[in-house]
Amino acid sequence: MTGIAELKLENENIAIISIAGTWNIYENHPHAEEFIDTILSKPSLQKVDLKFVDLKSWDCVLINFLIHILNACESKNLTVNIDNIPTGIRRLIELSKSSPVRNISSTSRKKPTILEFIGSVGLLIFLSLRTFLDFMEKLWVGIISFIGGKVKIRSQEFAVVLQEVGVKALPIVFLISFLVGLIIAFVSILQLSQFGANIYVANLVGISMMREMGCIMTGIIMSGRTGAAFAATIGTMVVNDEVDALQTAGFSTINFLVLPRVIALTLMMPLLYIFSAFIGIFGGLCAAMFTTDLTVVRYCTQTANAVHLNDFFVGIIKSCFFGFLVAATGCQKGLQCKRSAEDVGLTTTTAVVTSIVAIIIMDAIFAIVFSLFGI
Amino acid sequence: MVPKISVKNLNMAYDKYMVMRNLSFDVQQGEIFLIIGQSGCGKSTLLKYLLGLRRVNHQKIFYDGRDINSVINVPSFYGEKIGVLYQGGALWSSMTLAENVALPLETYTPLGREEIEEIVTLKLSLVGLKGFENFYPSQISGGMQKRAGLARAIALDPEILFFDEPSAGLDSVSAKRLDDLILELKESLGITVVIVTHDLASIFAIGTRAIYLDVESKTITAMGTPHELLMSSNDKNVIAFLSRGTKIAQG
Ligand SMILES: Nc1ncnc2c1ncn2[C@@H]1O[C@H](COP(=O)(O)OP(=O)(O)OP(=O)(O)O)[C@@H](O)[C@H]1O
Ligand SMILES: [Mg+2]
Repeated sequence: MTGIAELKLENENIAIISIAGTWNIYENHPHAEEFIDTILSKPSLQKVDLKFVDLKSWDCVLINFLIHILNACESKNLTVNIDNIPTGIRRLIELSKSSPVRNISSTSRKKPTILEFIGSVGLLIFLSLRTFLDFMEKLWVGIISFIGGKVKIRSQEFAVVLQEVGVKALPIVFLISFLVGLIIAFVSILQLSQFGANIYVANLVGISMMREMGCIMTGIIMSGRTGAAFAATIGTMVVNDEVDALQTAGFSTINFLVLPRVIALTLMMPLLYIFSAFIGIFGGLCAAMFTTDLTVVRYCTQTANAVHLNDFFVGIIKSCFFGFLVAATGCQKGLQCKRSAEDVGLTTTTAVVTSIVAIIIMDAIFAIVFSLFGI
Repeated sequence: MVPKISVKNLNMAYDKYMVMRNLSFDVQQGEIFLIIGQSGCGKSTLLKYLLGLRRVNHQKIFYDGRDINSVINVPSFYGEKIGVLYQGGALWSSMTLAENVALPLETYTPLGREEIEEIVTLKLSLVGLKGFENFYPSQISGGMQKRAGLARAIALDPEILFFDEPSAGLDSVSAKRLDDLILELKESLGITVVIVTHDLASIFAIGTRAIYLDVESKTITAMGTPHELLMSSNDKNVIAFLSRGTKIAQG
């Protein structure tokens, strides 16, 4: 049997609501709105009587129903006869009413106008830029005092991070760089063979790996791998009060958490870049061996002639910057994490997206600057 | 005498949400000072303000008569003056228990490695964790993490100890042991202790003075020894909060 409620008008002034049946969350039951509409539509009503005739069993849905009815009656100043309410139900209703209400100024939910929207987005960008610059300022102070020997970083922590961002990243960097070199070579050979200029595949692969792809690919790999890990680790530390504990034990979070990571990645990234560039060229070589009649020696001499030392320096400089950027973004987002597990996930995603976007933008800026100086 | 900690007309808020207003109290040297109140009233928040983890205006919080904004920039303030036990222990998870306790010692003292190891073992045995030196925080239980957190908090024998709900999550024997340890630290070393707690047994057992933070009026509604609060307060919330402990208090 399902829950039943009936409203009868005894006379002009008195309404009776009789409640029966089984009221639980699995069965159908009436909704309070219909009753409230009826009650509110009778201005002459003064009293509402609640009757429980054949109530088999009940749970929170009945309580919820009654609370709605009682609130509606209260707002219309109707007297309600609650004497008949079974004691258990009455006690639970009273308990739910005794909970203190947190009266916070309710934020209006109305749709923002276009101007408000633009304003809020602008404000958000401004604020996040400001926190990032704030962070950068502290980081640079840390780096300078590290270089000046005033700050020491924990050697164990540093060694662990160094290993994590260096040796352990080699397999994935190898795989991706090899494939990228291979792909560039295949695509170029298709075009170049039409002119019988197969030999220039070495130039294309060499220059693109050295100047662009080597550092961009390692940057992106490291932001997905290491930047994310930094953000998640530090975010979890925030959630567990570990960062507060560092602060109240007198350790600077910048020196303790951020510096080892930033320094490690800034140092390791150029090495990864060199590795990546050579593996990429090797990938190109493999592709050329398979599809053309070039010899290894010819390919290598051609590469050596095509790639200049300044291409190499461009790559090194860019990869240092990218390493710094990835580590700083990961740490900064991690420190901003709020105190929930959900936020750690969100933080990690933001860190990865931000650093990838930042890498691409940085690269564009570098491209412009280098072309201005003719490097 | 200048109070150890002095709070004057402090307002606490998260953005626009006012948590407590107009808090004023002094904590004297050598006291066990309790911050009590219903869940969600703002005790942990008050602790954050006292620890300088939330930004506070000038002339609101004083340590030994000096403004908190000027003392938190002195490097030794956190290391040597105060120790904190967080609600969940907050051990640094990448380090073993021994490393957790040793880190402040390595940083702030000129002690040699051997002596540090001995002190670490001593502190861990004070909280009943001898033999767990090389365990990582993830390998021990919640209550044990908390006790290890205490060992870390007292590593440098600070002047003031802060506890956020020290006995929550501990069985009654461990909780009693913790109370005894706190009393011992206070008596033998003259440490000042500030405790946020719900635990009525320890409120009456160790508290020298308490303030009650009231959710409804959003300020301090009672101040005094725990017994004074129970006997002579005319605030019904205070009585309700403490009266579950009457039996313990008299027994
Ligand atoms: N980060 C935050 N942002 C906004 N409001 C918060 C935040 N942290 C706490 N609050 C609010 O501040 C009030 C006080 O919280 P607090 O954690 O200080 O309570 P508490 O007294 O320590 O409670 P408990 O005894 O349960 O630990 C609560 O109403 C809570 O909703
Ligand atoms: Mg709390």
